[in-house]
Amino acid sequence: MNNQGNVVAAEHKFVTESDLDLIRSVQNGDKRAYNILYQEYIGQVYGLCYRLTGEKMLAEDAAQEVFIQLWRKISNFKGDSKFSTWLHTVTSNITISYLRKQKGWMQKMFNLEDSVAMNEPAEESVGKVDLESYVVKLPERARIVFVLHAIEGYRHEEIAQMTNMAVGSSKAQFHRAKQLLKEWMGYE
Amino acid sequence: MSSRSFEQDLDKQLAKLGREKQPERDLWQGIDYALANEPNQHVETIRRPVLGNKLYLVAATVVMFAWMGWFSFNQQTEKLIGSELVAALSEQHEQQKNALLVSYEQQTALTENWQQQLEDLDQAADAVKAALKNEPNNIPLLKMLQNVHHQQISLIERVHAPKWSHI
Repeated sequence: MNNQGNVVAAEHKFVTESDLDLIRSVQNGDKRAYNILYQEYIGQVYGLCYRLTGEKMLAEDAAQEVFIQLWRKISNFKGDSKFSTWLHTVTSNITISYLRKQKGWMQKMFNLEDSVAMNEPAEESVGKVDLESYVVKLPERARIVFVLHAIEGYRHEEIAQMTNMAVGSSKAQFHRAKQLLKEWMGYE
Repeated sequence: MSSRSFEQDLDKQLAKLGREKQPERDLWQGIDYALANEPNQHVETIRRPVLGNKLYLVAATVVMFAWMGWFSFNQQTEKLIGSELVAALSEQHEQQKNALLVSYEQQTALTENWQQQLEDLDQAADAVKAALKNEPNNIPLLKMLQNVHHQQISLIERVHAPKWSHI
């Protein structure tokens, strides 16, 4: 899809019997099963980490953090929802928390959050669009809200809880993200 | 172009976005390493983590150096102001950082780019110190410098002896 790597279209995974067996084995401490689970879901986890962080290296570190914490917390998955949905929530929470630790003070101190100009992509003509490359260049808060709302389907109320921001701020950041995308996609 | 056609185009682009993306390097190695140091954590979450003897020694050394550094730092900095304080802060931090790096010398780091991150933080510290040359008593700048130092220590500890947080 773009020059960042291989994006593979994938169907939503339901908790199939074989997935449940795999998850049960992991819950019982089977590391070989965990490796299989990793191979199966690393694409989804890394894809989400990459969109939330906007940087390859941060996304790699965040994805590792997700799988390390998942090993300890997989017993919390009871099988009453889609595993991929649960995993996406876990991934979002861990990545946001990871980003906060990594970048929080830098942004507070140097006020980098609003500096769009540093990352602004070249404007494209309408019809020639690589949305993902634009999304990762959005300012951090606008990017996180856009990814969680427009791509992952969370409501602003849920995003507000996940990110410790007000519901109004989440909506404002979403509007900001769309305005920037509109400009970058050559609509303004 | 109208706002409506942008919304339609955006919806179209969103529908085309794939959910998966493969990392360019193998992340399993680091995960496996981290899990090897935390056996059975997922099964018995109440039990405290069992540390290997080596890891215990490293942790003890880190605590000792941190305590020694903090103790001597407190004694030194009580009377220091301005550029002397900046110099003392930097020196104390360098000692603590070097001690940590020596303690973890034999241990493989969990990530490959941590030294780059350490250098980035070094550059950030240099930028703050340059600003402090003009305003050596600027409290927010001094706090910023301490913050950078803290980030470096956390980074070294995190990549060598991570403390896993809760989801």
